[in-house]
Amino acid sequence: MTMDRELPIERLLPLRPVEFDILLSLATGERHGYGIIQDAESRGLGPAPDVGTLYRALRRLQDQGMIEAADRRPAREADDERRNYYRVTPLGLRLAKAEAKRLAALTRAARLGGLLERGAI
Amino acid sequence: MSDERWMRASARWARLLLHLYPRDFRDEMGMGVVETYLDHCRTAVRRGGLLALCGVWAKAFVDSLWNGVAERLRPAVSWRRSGDWGLDAQRAVRRLVRTPLFAVAMLGTLTVGLGAFATVYAVVDRVLLAPLPYDRPDDLHFVWRNYKWVPFERGWVGGTDVAALQAAGGAIEGAVGLRTERMTMTHGTDGEPAEVPIMLSTPNLFRVLGVQLARGRGFAPNEGGPGRPPVIVLSDNLWRDRFGADPSVIGSEVRLDGRPFTVIGVAQPGFRFKRHASEGPPESADAYITFEMDLATTSPNSGAFAVLVRARAGTTAERFGAAVGAVGAMIDRRDFRSRGLELYPVGAKGDLVARVRPALIVLGAAGAFLVLVLAVNLATLLLARVAQREREFAISRALGANHVAVARATLFEGGLLGLVGGVGGTLVAVWGTRALVAIAPADLPRREAIGVDWRIATVVIAVGAALGVVAALLPAMWATRTRLMSLLSNANVRGGGGHGRMRRAMVVVQVALSLVLLTTGGLVVRSFERLLRANPGFDATGVLTMRIPVSSARYQTPAQSTALHERLEREIAALPGVTAIGAASALPLTAGVDQAGIQLPGAPGNTGDKEHDGPLADYIPARGRFFEALGIRLVAGRLFAPRLEPGVNEVLIDRTLAEEFYPSGSPIGARINIDGDSGTVIGVIEHARQYDIHKDGRYQVYIRNEYNGYRSLSYAIKANRSPTDLTAEVRAAVHRVDPQLAIANLRAMEEVVDDSLRQQRLSAVLIAAFSLGALSLAAMGLFGVVSAAVNRRRHEIAVRLALGADHASVRRLLLREGAGLVLGGVLLGVPGIYLAGRAVAGALVGVSPFDATTVGAVAAGLVVVALAACYIPARRVTGIEPAQAFREE
Repeated sequence: MTMDRELPIERLLPLRPVEFDILLSLATGERHGYGIIQDAESRGLGPAPDVGTLYRALRRLQDQGMIEAADRRPAREADDERRNYYRVTPLGLRLAKAEAKRLAALTRAARLGGLLERGAI
Repeated sequence: MSDERWMRASARWARLLLHLYPRDFRDEMGMGVVETYLDHCRTAVRRGGLLALCGVWAKAFVDSLWNGVAERLRPAVSWRRSGDWGLDAQRAVRRLVRTPLFAVAMLGTLTVGLGAFATVYAVVDRVLLAPLPYDRPDDLHFVWRNYKWVPFERGWVGGTDVAALQAAGGAIEGAVGLRTERMTMTHGTDGEPAEVPIMLSTPNLFRVLGVQLARGRGFAPNEGGPGRPPVIVLSDNLWRDRFGADPSVIGSEVRLDGRPFTVIGVAQPGFRFKRHASEGPPESADAYITFEMDLATTSPNSGAFAVLVRARAGTTAERFGAAVGAVGAMIDRRDFRSRGLELYPVGAKGDLVARVRPALIVLGAAGAFLVLVLAVNLATLLLARVAQREREFAISRALGANHVAVARATLFEGGLLGLVGGVGGTLVAVWGTRALVAIAPADLPRREAIGVDWRIATVVIAVGAALGVVAALLPAMWATRTRLMSLLSNANVRGGGGHGRMRRAMVVVQVALSLVLLTTGGLVVRSFERLLRANPGFDATGVLTMRIPVSSARYQTPAQSTALHERLEREIAALPGVTAIGAASALPLTAGVDQAGIQLPGAPGNTGDKEHDGPLADYIPARGRFFEALGIRLVAGRLFAPRLEPGVNEVLIDRTLAEEFYPSGSPIGARINIDGDSGTVIGVIEHARQYDIHKDGRYQVYIRNEYNGYRSLSYAIKANRSPTDLTAEVRAAVHRVDPQLAIANLRAMEEVVDDSLRQQRLSAVLIAAFSLGALSLAAMGLFGVVSAAVNRRRHEIAVRLALGADHASVRRLLLREGAGLVLGGVLLGVPGIYLAGRAVAGALVGVSPFDATTVGAVAAGLVVVALAACYIPARRVTGIEPAQAFREE
């Protein structure tokens, strides 16, 4: 793939919260759907995404080539049912980083604007 | 229940909820979704038991409902976000040009359908929707008298009422007294005298209407009443037809009934003020003059004027109605000894269109229905096209084409076709409206204003484009929805994919819509046929009619005019072929007669109820052999004696009056009081309908014209020759008697009957055309579905044949499928028939809206046509040879 045919990542920003949740989760390793939800819950920033919302976003990101399906294999939990796992692609990682950078810039701007107290985050 | 069973139930619930999502999503992500829900459920059971599980189930339902719908709508949303419109348009054009047959079929359907729609829309818009071309038209009202003590709710007002309304002030800004009269107009030295309808009014007519004249001026406030200067305003039509559009006409002299008038103005070309009639259609005039009398000094008893009243700007309908009612109450006390006279206003426009409104609403609804059928048909065609190209889509998608582009292309194609079809439809409508106006009833309000203008063209083209896009929406959704895998597998199996179901559903809808439209059409046509067969109480065949206006200036006494009519009768009766001739104040079905209150003292049918015993009857002075000429049957007694017998006031009454007041005995010889005058009933004749061809009107009394001396009479001439052959000789005969006489409405009585049926004929023709159009569209749809099924199932059919099925049984299989669709459509259409029947009931005559014969016949006809549309493509099965079909694969 030549450079000029690559998607300009900036055009996809900002990401929806659920999309960023997914990329953030997958950045640390492969996950199945419920794993992503648990990760989001553990972050404690508001309610975790609904299952339907999550899977629609997974499909979207998959169509855009940001994530891909990994092997189907048993989950780590006690039961031995098989699960669909997802992993992030290099493109998806770039997207996640771009979004993170955007959020960081936003945070900085918020602090400069006096919306955040020093050391709040 | 164990946890395990709860989990199984949860899985079933999750799988059920999956159906809220579109199929491709379900195929691809369904397993993951169910697993994740189960994970949720497990956690919930562990933490909170069954109650928490129920919570998860409920949440899953809400979640699936929301996201399922959102996912179904996604193609539309993503289409809006991306794409190169120009390129898409270019591609759509190129594709259409490459398949001319498809494009022509689509455009033909659209052009005809939209043309029909545009024609109806133009009529409905102009007649029902567009405001009258006057200043603040909604503030204009006609006011009528309601005589509470006789059943006469819509009477002319008296001149005194007009004066009272003018003086009222308050919510009433102005009031115009109006009357139309036919007068003989002559001007210059040459030119045949002609009878011209003249509008007599108070001088404020043009001011109250708020219209400007094209030339000259309107009436000054002092140009009315006794001793007024004789001034006249011409209509644009008259000015062009009789004065050759001569700009120097202002100041010249014309004669009306021999009296000179000075032309002071010419109205605008579009100005055709209509005064509504108490009975019958509204009347317009070709010239305008003012009253020479003072309306305030006329007899309050003579209701002879129409009155147009303008409400003060900003007055509510209630306040205006109350103001008019207050004037009415005052008049009732002053002039009618509080017998209960009421005055009430009716909006001018509503009053003018009231007669045609039911028919137009039915037509408008039929037009809208046709457009619906068209949209469904269009969608079916586009879907079929998408289906044909699914392999192409699959491959281009495999090669990386954006799936949204496919949807966009389909939408563009639809929109473009709709746009071009709209332009075509507009052109059709330009001619359509002209043809329509030609067959429209002469009394269709604002008939002259009907036509296609830019506004209507814009609406029609926009409707066309919108129709195309809407019709393309379903196929477009389907095209994006279908994922690569299913497309490829579908295309390979050729077994009828998801679009097959959609197409079948559309055909069912089409059949249902056509059934409703066809039933309505059948009812209207049947009702029209009833009208044609109705017996109006007279025989129009071989009767020539004309009106001879006789001016009081030239024939001053009743004796003089009677002598004139006797000479006319003698002269015409002497023409070869003429078997009977007579005249009356008006011809049947023209709603032109006067009314009078009558009493039959001592008749057995009297009930003692004042209203019943003193009815209002049509009062018809007649002379000569009028009844023989029109074939009006004598039921009992005798007709008028050939010679006037002194001392006997001969009166003929109609059958309905005789039946009501003499249910058993004979009325011959009975005394009858007509507006105070007394007469003797000498005979009973058939009721010749004056108003509607399909139903009896008021009671009728005929008196000898000699008593009353109506000057201008309508003649009926019965001959054993064709009426059209006779016209020249009749004209010559009249001019032999008096070359100054004008001859008006020289035409066959059959034309008079035809004229009274114009409105119904128009509805019947249009609705029949619409419903046949809908039927052919539905048949095309069915044909397409079945022939596509044969194409797509070639392989399957070949297998069936190879395994021993014969052609006939396979054909039956396909026919069964088609019949199922037809049956579904018919069942779906039944509630529609009921609703449509209730809607058109007002426009039907002599036919129940749920007439079993009509509905049954129409449904049967539809089923036959639909099955034929299935059978023809199904026959192609015969051409399938298993061996060859497999080789093709």
